[in-house]
Amino acid sequence: MQHPAFEEVTIHHEHADDGTFYKKVKKTTLLLSVITVIELVIGLAIYNIHKGENPNEFLILAFKGMVCILTLAKAYYIVSVFMHLGDEIRNMIMTIVVPLLLFIWFIAAFIWDGNSYKNLRNTYDKHFQESTMPAKHGTHKEEAKPAAPASGKE
Amino acid sequence: MSETSTLHAGAVGHHDDHGHGHHEQSFISKYIFSMDHKTIGKQFLITGIVWAIIGGLFSVLFRLQLGYPDQTFPILETFFGHWAKGGQIQPEFYYGLVTIHGTVLVFFVLTAGLSGTFANLLIPLQIGARDMASPFMNMLSYWFFFLAGIVMLSSIFVHTGPASGGWTMYPPLSALRQAGDGQKIGTDLWLIAMALFIVSSLLGGLNYISTILNMRTKGMSMTRLPLPIWAMFFTAVLGVLSFPVLLSGAILLLFDRNLGTSFYLSDIVVNGEILPNEGGSAILYQHLFWFLGHPEVYIILLPAMGMVSEILSVSARKPIFGYMAMLGSMFAIAILAFLVWAHHMFVTGLNPFLGSVFVLLTLLIAVPSAIKVFNWLTTLWRGNIRFTPAALFAIGFVSLFISGGLTGIFLGNSTIDIHLHDTMFVVAHFHIVMGVASFFGMFAGVYHWFPKMFGRYMNNTLAYIHFWVTMAGAYLIFWPMHYQGLAGVPRRYLDKKGWVSFNQFADLDKMITVVSIIVFAVQLMFVFNFFYSIYKGRKVTTTNPWEANTLEWTTPINPGHGNWVGEIPEVHRWPYDYAKDGRDFIPQTEPVGANESKH
Amino acid sequence: MATTATVHQTKWWSGGKSPFNLEYGKLMMWYFLMSDAFTFGAFLISYGSIRFSQNFWPDPNVVFNAFPGAGHANLPLAFVSVMTFILIISSVTMVLAVHAGHKGDKAGVVKWLFWTIVGGVAFLSCQAWEWHHLITGEHAVLVDGKIDIIGQTMRGNPWGSLVSHDAALAALQNTPHETLVNLAHQSNHGSSHEQLAALTDKDLISKINLDELHVRTKGPIAFGGYFYGITGFHGFHVFSGVVINIVMLMMTQKNVFQNRGHYLMIEKAGLYWHFVDLVWVFVFLCFYLI
Repeated sequence: MQHPAFEEVTIHHEHADDGTFYKKVKKTTLLLSVITVIELVIGLAIYNIHKGENPNEFLILAFKGMVCILTLAKAYYIVSVFMHLGDEIRNMIMTIVVPLLLFIWFIAAFIWDGNSYKNLRNTYDKHFQESTMPAKHGTHKEEAKPAAPASGKE
Repeated sequence: MSETSTLHAGAVGHHDDHGHGHHEQSFISKYIFSMDHKTIGKQFLITGIVWAIIGGLFSVLFRLQLGYPDQTFPILETFFGHWAKGGQIQPEFYYGLVTIHGTVLVFFVLTAGLSGTFANLLIPLQIGARDMASPFMNMLSYWFFFLAGIVMLSSIFVHTGPASGGWTMYPPLSALRQAGDGQKIGTDLWLIAMALFIVSSLLGGLNYISTILNMRTKGMSMTRLPLPIWAMFFTAVLGVLSFPVLLSGAILLLFDRNLGTSFYLSDIVVNGEILPNEGGSAILYQHLFWFLGHPEVYIILLPAMGMVSEILSVSARKPIFGYMAMLGSMFAIAILAFLVWAHHMFVTGLNPFLGSVFVLLTLLIAVPSAIKVFNWLTTLWRGNIRFTPAALFAIGFVSLFISGGLTGIFLGNSTIDIHLHDTMFVVAHFHIVMGVASFFGMFAGVYHWFPKMFGRYMNNTLAYIHFWVTMAGAYLIFWPMHYQGLAGVPRRYLDKKGWVSFNQFADLDKMITVVSIIVFAVQLMFVFNFFYSIYKGRKVTTTNPWEANTLEWTTPINPGHGNWVGEIPEVHRWPYDYAKDGRDFIPQTEPVGANESKH
Repeated sequence: MATTATVHQTKWWSGGKSPFNLEYGKLMMWYFLMSDAFTFGAFLISYGSIRFSQNFWPDPNVVFNAFPGAGHANLPLAFVSVMTFILIISSVTMVLAVHAGHKGDKAGVVKWLFWTIVGGVAFLSCQAWEWHHLITGEHAVLVDGKIDIIGQTMRGNPWGSLVSHDAALAALQNTPHETLVNLAHQSNHGSSHEQLAALTDKDLISKINLDELHVRTKGPIAFGGYFYGITGFHGFHVFSGVVINIVMLMMTQKNVFQNRGHYLMIEKAGLYWHFVDLVWVFVFLCFYLI
């Protein structure tokens, strides 16, 4: 066997032969690239919806949700194929995946409370509301105009 | 399989060469930069003791102020100069004392000193390994801890004094240099010390986890692990997953302090100066802090729980009651520890509905805690208890855990917490349930494993005095604080004379102060006993003085680096076969007999 | 020894072996990455928390729309997609390096490690350019009734909501001469700074093209702090990954792994490098896409 250095390792991994390996890597690279391109397209779509008159908030949210899911898919492929977690035995996969479930409540509670902080301040801190709330249509015509965003002015 | 099993036949662990040949080592590599887990454990313990003395002394100092707010103590001025002008503790100094007392005892003593000591000492010994998975990283872990201590210590000596934002270091106070002397360089040093400490605890934790998983000897399946090891395992998992969050929070705080960002700051006026910071959220820091802070409570408690379980079983000469229930409840505690952090923040402006979710999750902790208490009590029930000092402290732990845990149910309810938050009630609650209780676990551990560490016994008479005075003292100090808290006496106040209604507690405060001085003196006696016994204690003459089942008692009285002479023993049974089939105890190494009853 | 058959027969938890069939170093690396994931997670989640606590947040496509050498062209997402692809490709080369290590193919390890390092350095250079561009950018911002020119820093954010034409015009009346000169210069690259400085405020204002200027209010300050803080922390990881890879390259060259009989260190370095890529996937999501 290749490396007898570690007694705690019972079975030495039989590494995939070159053919299957390169095929797998190629496939994953392609997948990652395609997903990234789709993400970029969605990103540009969001940008164009933002530019238009009366942006459809729901559509933007749906697109953002899609990007999140695509990102998770990308993360799955990186961890499972590139980091070879998919090739480890099941116990190992579980010890990595299960603790990550903590992120669900971690994210939910933080975002929830962030949102609540905004509502609190909008209710009780008029200055905050007036100074940060983007102007609604009517007062600021410029806002609704499909304005090309300011590029860096060097 | 055959080829691999021959591969294993030798021994586990990579450092067999250290175990067999007793090659001479220089003083430095043996005692200073040692890679032997036992020596590193002792280093953690002794450093922890030094910090405990400092932290304890600080509490005596601010107790003096609380008990005798009008009296002057000229000796204080001799020692502390302008911090105690005219023999009276100055407000900035008082806050510094409170802050350093909290930080030092929570992190340096009860995290590093407790789990650092016993995880290092017990994990390889009890699972049957020559050393930690990576002895080098283990050594680094200690030296990062040491370095963190140096930085923290140096903050006490800077001109503007140590950090004084409370051990929780809440912004905006801690984020603004101009807010006070303690918010100047002292707070930066505090943050740097904490960052170093986090590195230390990560290095240690990663090592503990992979050692427990990978280095167990043959036959030591996970369900045959002694309970301290399970406790250390969950402790390490908690540390590895939660300390990084504090690191992030601390980095953002450093940015706010030094780079002018606005993560935690919004709409602030200091001394008439309007700060440009906008849009930050001070609550965010508290979320980040308590995401660590709550698991931290269990990082402190779990090792004590594990060791108490072991010691109770050994002393009661009975198998631990409900081993699997113990594991399950520890697992449940470890998970819940991550889900309940915002119960420290009910009155910050947290969304009340979110708060009620946290109430529910918090109260759920009562279930595994109650299971554990029940199991400890049933382990003692009708046992043939040997009241060694370790056993007494373990029983004391159970008592304190019950009394402190019950008040946790009060505080976990947001409605009651609105009245009780930031009062002495909270101080009483967490000191009993996590501070003193964990100390009791630590004392129990020290008394129990002292023979293994140094090959000698500690003095029993001094140990009994230590126990009874500390036990009585802990309740005398903290029990009355509940009443103070219910009456609304706030914590962290320098002087409460301004409130007529609090004057009724003046005598009580004096009593608490006197008792705390006595208890502190008794702890010094323990320290004396500890160091005296290292050199002059009664020698251990048998390898298994407590007649326990676990593997550490199969090593020589003074094990060298590598722990076992010859091969590592194999394990054939769980560690709690006491009073079984007419035998007092059956070590783990003994093969299961043909007609042995099941446990 | 048939691998699959043994996997099912082995009593993984019985002691004397790793329950995961992994040597301790790799296990530690995995758990270290797990804890590092919580560091990054905490950063990104606190970013999310702050973002949700604001009434307004800049549209990333407006902020990140420049491309080196493309001048003022509006190219949202273009540059960051280049950066993303650089990291993905460097991850692929790392996979190949690890695979070469499995086979004990020293030349292959050296080759692919080298390309991984090149990818890492390229990514860092891109990040340096992007930071520089954002910090030195000059954006007209309405502050206290007058126009100010600021870049994207940790203390200030020029990406608030757009100011109406009238309000911007009113603000120009209160704006100091020097700022007006700079603003006019942006619309009139033909005239030199000195020529413009000689003009009166009124003439300068007439020369300023407000439709092109896109005057905005100040945006949420935390935006810059988080952007520089998190991409900086990620960049620090890339940097340390590059350093690790260089060390690995040197050790490979010196036959350290050849003599040891295994290239497990390369595997561990690889795990770290992929993790850096993994984090970028989420940074990309949080800062550039949504």
